[in-house]
Amino acid sequence: MAEPILKVKDVSVSFDNQEVLKDISFSVNEGDVLAIVGPNGAGKSVLFRVLMDFIPYDGEIKWRNDVKIGYVPQKFFEKSELPLTVREFFVLKSKNLFFKDKKFSDSVSHELKSVGLDPEILDKQLAHLSKGQSQRALIAWAILGHPNVLLFDEPTAGIDLAGEDTIYNLLHKMKDERGLTVLIISHDLNVVYRYADSVLCINKERICFGPPKRELTGENIKQLYGESAFYQHGH
Amino acid sequence: MALAASFLGAFVVAKRMALVGDVLSHVALPGIGLALVFGYDPIYGAAAFLLLAAFGTWFIERKTELPPEAIIGTFFTATLALGVILVPNEELFESLFGNLFAIKPQDAAIIMAVSFIIFILTIMLSRRLTIGIVAPDLAKSAGFKPDLSYLGFLLLFALSVALGIKLIGSVLMGALTILPAVSARNFSWSLKSFLSFSVILGLIMTGAGIFISNYFNFPPGPTVILTGIIFFVISLLFKK
Repeated sequence: MAEPILKVKDVSVSFDNQEVLKDISFSVNEGDVLAIVGPNGAGKSVLFRVLMDFIPYDGEIKWRNDVKIGYVPQKFFEKSELPLTVREFFVLKSKNLFFKDKKFSDSVSHELKSVGLDPEILDKQLAHLSKGQSQRALIAWAILGHPNVLLFDEPTAGIDLAGEDTIYNLLHKMKDERGLTVLIISHDLNVVYRYADSVLCINKERICFGPPKRELTGENIKQLYGESAFYQHGH
Repeated sequence: MALAASFLGAFVVAKRMALVGDVLSHVALPGIGLALVFGYDPIYGAAAFLLLAAFGTWFIERKTELPPEAIIGTFFTATLALGVILVPNEELFESLFGNLFAIKPQDAAIIMAVSFIIFILTIMLSRRLTIGIVAPDLAKSAGFKPDLSYLGFLLLFALSVALGIKLIGSVLMGALTILPAVSARNFSWSLKSFLSFSVILGLIMTGAGIFISNYFNFPPGPTVILTGIIFFVISLLFKK
């Protein structure tokens, strides 16, 4: 079997002596979709930050040498003091400092198209985009420059169902077309069933890890979300 | 000078640290005092203290995640008191409010040259700074180092405050940085227009202020700031 693209072993994180993540271990194979589920405050976003090496941790995280990560944060540009346009937002990712870069702007329009956005959107202000549009713009930003791993922190609320559905189709399409490995923090177990190759359930510590159909048992979900969990099976 | 200050000011406003500039500028006073005591040009003392303060702010913010306003407010307001004690009375007024017309030609040349360098450096830094302000995590994920660009920004800012002290004084320097940016924010539609308007307004405000102060024989610093306020009020009319 091929070497996993990511191996995580016994990773723990504490803030001010309070443990936020405890002994998390899992691995991800190339081209897979790993869904990370858990209640609010379970440390899902913290796990992302650890994976990108933003914050210190104990344990071991091993990415394959050739990984390039694209990151889609949960929320963004709600109130920005800077009147940034979409175009300017993309240009920020360019390392080219002063000059207009034809190749760069071509790839920007290409990525916008691939996430289903019209290039006309480039002249709009970021703050004026709808939630669905800014979500897509963030994905386009993340995949600009061809990463092979995408970390996608799904928004908890705010995108309507139709929009949400296409975002997942989009992610799925990207996985198929570009061979992207996708790590997604999800709040919707139906989505996990439908799209994920494996699932990692955490609530500070690992509760389950494996294929969704095997791991998302009533008992695991009860343990994950508590007795009151409202759980619907998608099939 | 106005060029550099108003350009930096756009980022100061964006990072919600408008008051920082104000307080940071007071940090210069003890530096001025000490430089006078030991017989150096006060601008060097001011610059040394300001750069130190900028670095200190950056360091404490990294360590504690307190907002910069709180840090600077807490640790550096005391320097104003210290400054008032250290700076001799006859120099105090000039340090606080500056005196544009008392500057020697060679000093003016140095101030202009350094301002221009600050301006260029800020342009070079601006892209990294922007991404660091709007989305620090995205910046990091794309391999930028928002911490370092922020430090660079604080140091440039401190330097520009040091330069401004002779011209307009430590009290009003904060206003020179912020006013053009807040006015520009009211009617700009993109980052480029925001930065350009900040700079243009900064230049007009300073130019008009100096002209008026010369004509009516007002002190230049306060006149420049009051001109800026007029621009700000006008800019409010543009706000949708």
